[in-house]
Amino acid sequence: MTVPTAEGSTRYAGARINRVEDARLLSGRGTFVDDVSLPGMLHACFVRSPLPRATIRSIDTKAALAMPGVHAVFTAADLNPDVNEQWHTSVGPEGPETPRPPLAEGEVRFVGDAVALVVAESRYLAEDAVDLVEVDYDPLPAVVDYTTAEQAATLVHESHGSNLIGQMSGLPASALQEVFDSAAHVVGETIYQQAYVPVPMEGRALAVDYSAPTGELTIYSATQAPHEVRLFCSRLLGVPEQKVRVIARDTGGGFGQKIMVQRDEMCIMLAARKVPGPLKWIEDRRENLIAAGQSRHEHAAVKMAFDAEGTIQAAQIDFVSDCGAYPTPWPVSTSSVVGALFPGPYRVPRASFTTKTMYTNTVGRTAYRGPWQFETLAREMLLDIAARQMGIDPMELRRRNLLRRDELPYTNANGMPFDHISPMETFEQALDMLDYPAFRKEQAEARAAGRYLGVGISNYVEPSSPGFGYYATEAATIRVEPSGKVNVYIAGGSTGNSIETTVVQLAADALGVDIEDVATIQGDTAVTGFGAGAAGSRSASMTAGAIRETAAILRERIKAIAAHKLEAAPEDIELGNSRASVRGTPTIGMSLGELARAAYFDPYSLPPGVPAGLEASARYTADTRFVWVNATHLCTCEVDVATGAVKLLRFIVSEDCGPMINPNVVEGQIAGGVVQGIGGVLYEHLAYDEDGNPITTTFMDYLLPTATEVPVIEYGHIETPSPGPGGYKGVGEGGAIGAPPAVVNAVADALAPFGVTVTRLPLGPTQIHALIAGNRG
Amino acid sequence: MKPAPFEYHAPTTIADAAGLLADLGDGAKVLAGGQSLIPMLALRLAVFDHLVDVGRIAELHGIERRGDALWVGAGTTEAAVGASVEVASSVPLLAKATPFVGHFQIRNRGTLGGSIAHADPAAEYPAVALALDASMDVVSSRGSRTIAARDFFDGLWSTSMETDELLAGVSFPIWGGRCGFAVEEFARRYGDFALAGVAVAIELDGDDRVRRSALGLIGMGSTPERAVTTEAQLAGQPVTEVDAEEVGRSAVAGLEAVPSDLHGSADYRRQLGAAMVARAWRTASAEARHG
Ligand SMILES: Cc1cc2nc3c(=O)[nH]c(=O)nc-3n(C[C@H](O)[C@H](O)[C@H](O)COP(=O)(O)OP(=O)(O)OC[C@H]3O[C@@H](n4cnc5c(N)ncnc54)[C@H](O)[C@@H]3O)c2cc1C
Repeated sequence: MTVPTAEGSTRYAGARINRVEDARLLSGRGTFVDDVSLPGMLHACFVRSPLPRATIRSIDTKAALAMPGVHAVFTAADLNPDVNEQWHTSVGPEGPETPRPPLAEGEVRFVGDAVALVVAESRYLAEDAVDLVEVDYDPLPAVVDYTTAEQAATLVHESHGSNLIGQMSGLPASALQEVFDSAAHVVGETIYQQAYVPVPMEGRALAVDYSAPTGELTIYSATQAPHEVRLFCSRLLGVPEQKVRVIARDTGGGFGQKIMVQRDEMCIMLAARKVPGPLKWIEDRRENLIAAGQSRHEHAAVKMAFDAEGTIQAAQIDFVSDCGAYPTPWPVSTSSVVGALFPGPYRVPRASFTTKTMYTNTVGRTAYRGPWQFETLAREMLLDIAARQMGIDPMELRRRNLLRRDELPYTNANGMPFDHISPMETFEQALDMLDYPAFRKEQAEARAAGRYLGVGISNYVEPSSPGFGYYATEAATIRVEPSGKVNVYIAGGSTGNSIETTVVQLAADALGVDIEDVATIQGDTAVTGFGAGAAGSRSASMTAGAIRETAAILRERIKAIAAHKLEAAPEDIELGNSRASVRGTPTIGMSLGELARAAYFDPYSLPPGVPAGLEASARYTADTRFVWVNATHLCTCEVDVATGAVKLLRFIVSEDCGPMINPNVVEGQIAGGVVQGIGGVLYEHLAYDEDGNPITTTFMDYLLPTATEVPVIEYGHIETPSPGPGGYKGVGEGGAIGAPPAVVNAVADALAPFGVTVTRLPLGPTQIHALIAGNRG
Repeated sequence: MKPAPFEYHAPTTIADAAGLLADLGDGAKVLAGGQSLIPMLALRLAVFDHLVDVGRIAELHGIERRGDALWVGAGTTEAAVGASVEVASSVPLLAKATPFVGHFQIRNRGTLGGSIAHADPAAEYPAVALALDASMDVVSSRGSRTIAARDFFDGLWSTSMETDELLAGVSFPIWGGRCGFAVEEFARRYGDFALAGVAVAIELDGDDRVRRSALGLIGMGSTPERAVTTEAQLAGQPVTEVDAEEVGRSAVAGLEAVPSDLHGSADYRRQLGAAMVARAWRTASAEARHG
């Protein structure tokens, strides 16, 4: 389906185009790292610490090395000295980073910490050899509970001198003291979120093919940012960047976990030059659940002041997060976003925040889809608690405080400059889709019959498409090939965000060609210009900018050639359906193929000043620092009070991501995030016991929601253009930000007759049952 | 998550399988559908030098009436059990339990014998076997014997079979008369092992009195459990006067080893178990009364 344009040609942006990725992915023909098989390939497996903290007394590799088929067993002494430089581009060389020895040196700091690396002819043999590596540990007391880590006598990193990684703050709380003291209502709670994680379908994965004669490395990587892998590798090994080529064809999801190079990947890069064949490491599920990273483990004391009518006067958050032993990247700046965004899409005249990030002897924190998500969770939970305490309907309380369009631009109390958003519109649209009054009636009837229904809402505003640092630009190369077919080169990387489809749609529109004539090449650093990858919900806006800039050059050139050939003025040439024709006389025209043939094979026939060929590269620099996005999530549920089971009934999302490039893609992104958010509230918990042992190391215990646990997701769309290219906004992360509080609030609403206040996640049946029992007395 | 090396054997007769188990000793393990064993091998929670795959042994497959019992070959897949008209009419409790066993993909490979031999306390078939007083046909090169269900499950994932013994089949007594059957369980997600559950069978006399009942508890101990005290109290009671909630409370009252973990405290599981028993009792007694 396409949308006809005024010019009579089709416009693909806005249409529900089927994804170009689907044919290969749905038929099982994607190319993930494990699908790459090279002659002589060797396989890596890590020896991982079974203890949360211990001194490594000795490592005996003899028996493992003696095993037939084993090529090497590396320890820290073999790999760590080869580290040249070790920093992520977004943090910079001077960043106050956590020290990251590739293999544990002297001390292990979490269960799963890599101690040695076995390289063998197959993963089977490598795992057999891992069992033969003898590590003598001297157990040490561990810091497990981040909430007491600051006072703990034990230090996770002795060299840091404290378990407090860093802290940030906005206005001091004292500045708000007066407002809180004089407010009609003050509502405060401490809200806790458990650890849960991205769980990509494909774990982390790397295959490194090192060529000794040339010193070149070709790296196949499961990554959201191929160029960052390349840069990082060149710094790590001290080899020129041109000698490193990173190829990321299909990546089975990343959700933040695959933005940065972590210690395990460093080991593979370092080891690859020391073994006689290409080296592959495929992280298995257990490793992914113990060693790939944690996220979401945090709490905050939150407080809001209201006047007698429920108008918000001030908001305050004191936030603390668990960052494990080796957070990647440095977690302090993200934590400040939690503070800065806590007021959300509401009129909050005064705000203050503090944030603390803590080291513990657990797996390091990594980014997860909306890494600052806690601000929305805590705010929206608090608003519902406040509404109940003040006796105001929770929807009405929000309506009184949500930002209206006529108030924009609006700079929030922490300096966040909101604009081009529509919080009131998405809010009202979602409530209309539900028919809120009808639901309240149904709920009352159900309660009378002993059934407990609930409704929960959440509103958020999030920054997408960051326009600073290395995120601020994106390049495109477009080649109209001699046949007239179009190839678009974008840094990209296909991690499930449909960026190939997006690129093909946008390029077809920008050049006026049929979508079947456009292909895209992504995820190969050898042929694409630097790009920061899939992060910060940036791909749509940044890619659209890159295509716009590059296509503009080609359009002008195509028009010039066509005008020359057709003896018309360039202004009178229009492009459409893979043709250039004279405005008003569409029969007079040339196909893009004919024009390309001339451009490449008959250069002397081109108009003066027009270069031969039809290829161009350009780089877009972000027009704005942030592209703000907002949405409303609305959820209804039924709680079985005998079992504590929650059944979600409806899930409605009204999202404003600007004009949609492809509603299928937008809704797919929202759906994925919503499912992760539902999982985070009701099912998923990356749990440790009190001694620091991970206890959810397989899918038997780490429970993901499946098709049977997720209701049909209903979508509403408001399309407020951003000032960026095409007016587009980012939609990658929002689903995972908005969904959790909507689910929590729905459950809390269902349990309202029991006088329950929900402040702790997750909400598994056992917790819900305990909440009810606790309040029944 | 790759298993340690093992040698693979695929006998085609019970005698050959028994011979292999006798010869190979403790280092050998029977492989049936692999739905429980293979994950344990892949996680290296278990390591065996030899796997004896019983999937090619025709004698282990089948469902047939043998006197007052229905015999199900150990190698019969859970899917075949679920699809069998004979099972549905003769041992409805087994049929009703089957949809709760994992997902259909698992039931397509997993076997009834594998489930019972694996003896997971949260599995449905062991609880059904215990509730119905099923008997297990066990074969080794030393001969065959029959083990009553109450003597079979002797610990967590443990049975009274010797390592050289093979489970050949299970005979489920057929309940006639005015009977009702129900399975109720609660799992975190569809297809997960139950946090608590029950398989209930009731037979009424002509006056609506409980002639006999059987309550096989799922996931409530280190083995499947039978609520024998409750059953004894119920015998002879007019079914219309039985308080289902009370049956639930009574059934879980004496349990001593209710598991406790991240997914549910023992206290929670106990209350859940009581709720499941009450629900199943209501359904089964209604079925017994009204057919
Ligand atoms: C995701 C998932 C969910 C599941 N959910 C459930 C559930 O809800 N309820 C449930 O009951 N089960 C569940 N299962 C387990 C499933 O039912 C298994 O199939 C079953 O427990 C074992 O049967 P199997 O044929 O696969 O046996 P295998 O895995 O091959 O063997 C299991 C054990 O039994 C032994 N064994 C097998 N056959 C014999 C025999 N004939 N004689 C002697 N010993 C034998 C083996 O040596 C091994 O120790 C689930 C499995 C998975 C993977």
